[in-house]
Amino acid sequence: MSTASYLALPDLQAVLPRELAAELMEIARAKGAEFAEVYGEHSVHTSFSYEENRLKTSAYSVSQGVGVRAVIGDQTGYAYADGFSPADLREAARVAARIARGTSGNGKLQAFRVVEAPWPFRLERPAPLALDESGKITLVERANQAARGHDPRIHEVSVTLADSSKSFLVANSDGLWAVDRQFLTRLTVSALALQGDERQEGYSTGGGSVEADYFERERPPEEIASEAAATAVTLLGAREPEAGAYPVVVSPGWGGVMVHECFGHSMEGDTIRKQTSIRARQMGQTVASKGVTIVDSGVVPHSRGSFRVDDEGTPAQRTVLVDDGVLTGYLWDLLNARLTGNRPTGNGRRSSYRDVPICRMTNTYIEAGPHPPADLIADVKRGLYCKSLGGGSVNPADGNFSFQVTEAYRIVDGKLAEPVRNATLTGNGNDAMLKIDAVANDLEIDGSTGSCGKDGQWKPVGVGQPTVRFREITVGGTST
Amino acid sequence: MSQPGAAQAVSAGLEAIAAEAVDRARRAGADQAEAVVQSSRSFSVEVNGGKIETLKQSTARGLGLRVIVGDAVGFVSSNDLSSERLEDLARRAVALARLSTPDPANGLPAAAEAGEADGADLALYDTAVLELSPEKKIEMAIELERVALAHDPRIRRTDGAHVSSGAGTTVLANSHGLSRTASGTSVSAYVLPLADDRDGKQQSGGYGLSKRWLAELPPMEAIASEAARRAVARIGARPVPTARVPVVMHPDVAESWISEMLDAFSGESVIKNSSWLTGKLGETIASPLVTLVDDGRLRAGVGSAPHDGEGVATRRNVLIERGRCALFLYDTYHARRAGTRSTGSAVRSYSSVPGIGYHNLALEPGSDSPEAILRRADRGFYMDDQGSFGFNSVTGDYSFQAQGFWIERGEKAFPVEGVTVASNSLDMLRNVVAVGNDLTWEGSVASPTLLIAEMTVSGGGG
Repeated sequence: MSTASYLALPDLQAVLPRELAAELMEIARAKGAEFAEVYGEHSVHTSFSYEENRLKTSAYSVSQGVGVRAVIGDQTGYAYADGFSPADLREAARVAARIARGTSGNGKLQAFRVVEAPWPFRLERPAPLALDESGKITLVERANQAARGHDPRIHEVSVTLADSSKSFLVANSDGLWAVDRQFLTRLTVSALALQGDERQEGYSTGGGSVEADYFERERPPEEIASEAAATAVTLLGAREPEAGAYPVVVSPGWGGVMVHECFGHSMEGDTIRKQTSIRARQMGQTVASKGVTIVDSGVVPHSRGSFRVDDEGTPAQRTVLVDDGVLTGYLWDLLNARLTGNRPTGNGRRSSYRDVPICRMTNTYIEAGPHPPADLIADVKRGLYCKSLGGGSVNPADGNFSFQVTEAYRIVDGKLAEPVRNATLTGNGNDAMLKIDAVANDLEIDGSTGSCGKDGQWKPVGVGQPTVRFREITVGGTST
Repeated sequence: MSQPGAAQAVSAGLEAIAAEAVDRARRAGADQAEAVVQSSRSFSVEVNGGKIETLKQSTARGLGLRVIVGDAVGFVSSNDLSSERLEDLARRAVALARLSTPDPANGLPAAAEAGEADGADLALYDTAVLELSPEKKIEMAIELERVALAHDPRIRRTDGAHVSSGAGTTVLANSHGLSRTASGTSVSAYVLPLADDRDGKQQSGGYGLSKRWLAELPPMEAIASEAARRAVARIGARPVPTARVPVVMHPDVAESWISEMLDAFSGESVIKNSSWLTGKLGETIASPLVTLVDDGRLRAGVGSAPHDGEGVATRRNVLIERGRCALFLYDTYHARRAGTRSTGSAVRSYSSVPGIGYHNLALEPGSDSPEAILRRADRGFYMDDQGSFGFNSVTGDYSFQAQGFWIERGEKAFPVEGVTVASNSLDMLRNVVAVGNDLTWEGSVASPTLLIAEMTVSGGGG
């Protein structure tokens, strides 16, 4: 990495030196907490929004502060302070300490050892720092022009380039000391198509933890814009889906949001430890069809969901959740790993210093299978091909999930037919992965789009899969 | 507005910061500048298995600075409020504005446009919330969980009982001399019991609510019993065959629908022609039973405020009046674009530019009891819970994963899950054939029970 490109971020070890971090942890353990942690962060966000052929807003924001956590057993105390004033940090540490009710501290801290973890990928010139304002605005303008030029029915286009540069430091009473920097860029295009009284919208994104030349070499703004515009135009005149339960084929890449929602959430260590997940007693059991292998990996190159160390300082890793249909591993953050006697898997994440770290996915995907993707459609007499999905959600307690399908096509006698709009896929996560009856060989991981919400905290994630077919899913719609 | 002493001391400091930020922005070259400074204190406790799982306490503050230079907008925000940072932010805001496209509709409201924004009668601040001790809140959360667990032997665990409280002050100042201060409190309680169902499956029944005043929060016992009742009622839920039937919407589901619809009433969407209500102002879009109101001045309302995110006085906006599309919502910029006045509908936090949103949104109650509405439906689906995604804000298309009960002979017959419910919002608005008398405020959106004459319920084997 070039050192020059990092000059824009402060050295957190200067504002939060080891002596101060150690003092804060001693305060946090003064009432008997077994574990203490200090997390300091400085982040900068910029965004440029283009609407109605104008650069409507240019924005910049800075956020910085320190969170202190104290843990005794399975109980957590947490407090934070904005900024780095030692007096404020000591007060935060005193508040966190109150989770424990004892009168004496908890022994000496371990000496700090710096976490050495390999970079999952190199970033020579991270886009948020290496592109200047005019470079970023040019990307936005190019996307706007391309979307408008795609089809005369495109009436309105919104484009936003948003990026963040974050520097963080985490230290804990077990002697962990880790510092890291993370860079994210996302270009989002939404296009509105009009025809008569009908209006439809299409949406696409690009980005990730990418180099400055990503938008030249890998994903030009014109490509993102054309995808958004093409979806909007396709949906004009699309028919309503047939309501009912029938075979559904889901496209590669972002389609992996289904495995994230339907399956991944039920593998997070907090729900396993508390036994609120149905997966808690299924280690070694068949939970997905044969041929289905599901992975969570924090080391996918240039994805939004990747990092060198997680927000607790644990190095990112690749965890196999399901191997050929059989449940083989769970996801663990520090707290839940410690309480269950497992090793942390690099899945302790938090939105910011204002939040307690919780167990989260990174990049979750289904590994490639043997079939050419076309075969998955050719075998279906009557079904639905989902080309792009919108948002999805699951209720982790009862497993009920649903996904909005933004662009789909009917499958009739093994061939794609008319476009379909406004479909919703629904079912129960408990058996969804058992309904997969074919996995194609065209794995794609979408590292540009996803943000996952849990306990009020939003975190960037990657999702992926090859083309996948479900034997039967309930499709909501108005046509019967 | 009148404020308790503690809040007054906080707001004086914030007002000085806001004034300094506006001043520095003007000196850095801004034609107009607006600063919003927020300060908040919050506390939350989650109890699980009879003891504290997470206890969190915090104080936060931050500044947002919006500037206009030659009719173009720049925006910066920060939670570092030191003088050096303010100077840096002011310069950056002006530099960013120079990159944006000039638009003569950009402008900040002057005092005369913004109106009188008295908050004294709104009752947004309850000192009892501030005085509630952490120990008491922990006790409340423990009781929430204990009552839920005691309700039925099939409830053996919860996914947490939560109690939280907060107090905040927002100060706004702009270079036209507008200066506003508002403070408020909130307290909320929530529990999610899990009930054992067949095959290791479980059913959840979350329930909770938020209030400005501690005295308005129901007893923990009542909240926990309602949550537990919901979880147990779901046991044995199953899909039903695909059919077009009357759908009774529980208030929770109706509230979610009206808040999804709000985007169509946004003047911004209407100007961009991305609203399914474009061109329908003054037309009949709904059954005469439907009156939809956004009231920024509801007494003790969770979404109430004396002024909006630009300092414009809030008011009561009637969006649908007995079926007629009566009003679209505007902030200052979009009002100027549309040749009208702001409706006091700019919403924001310090870290975002204003957007158009609601304060307290409600579908006004009718005269039917929920039981009478079920009898009227006779045979159909009673929808009382839903998935998170399924609304298309451009078309008004509605298609949600749903849970609830099948209705036979006007009564709940058995619990249902694994279905979706679909229609289009314009059809649904026209098809509202009964409106309940059971409106209660549990947050900033409220609706009574509704009966929609026909929607498509899709399940297995369709």
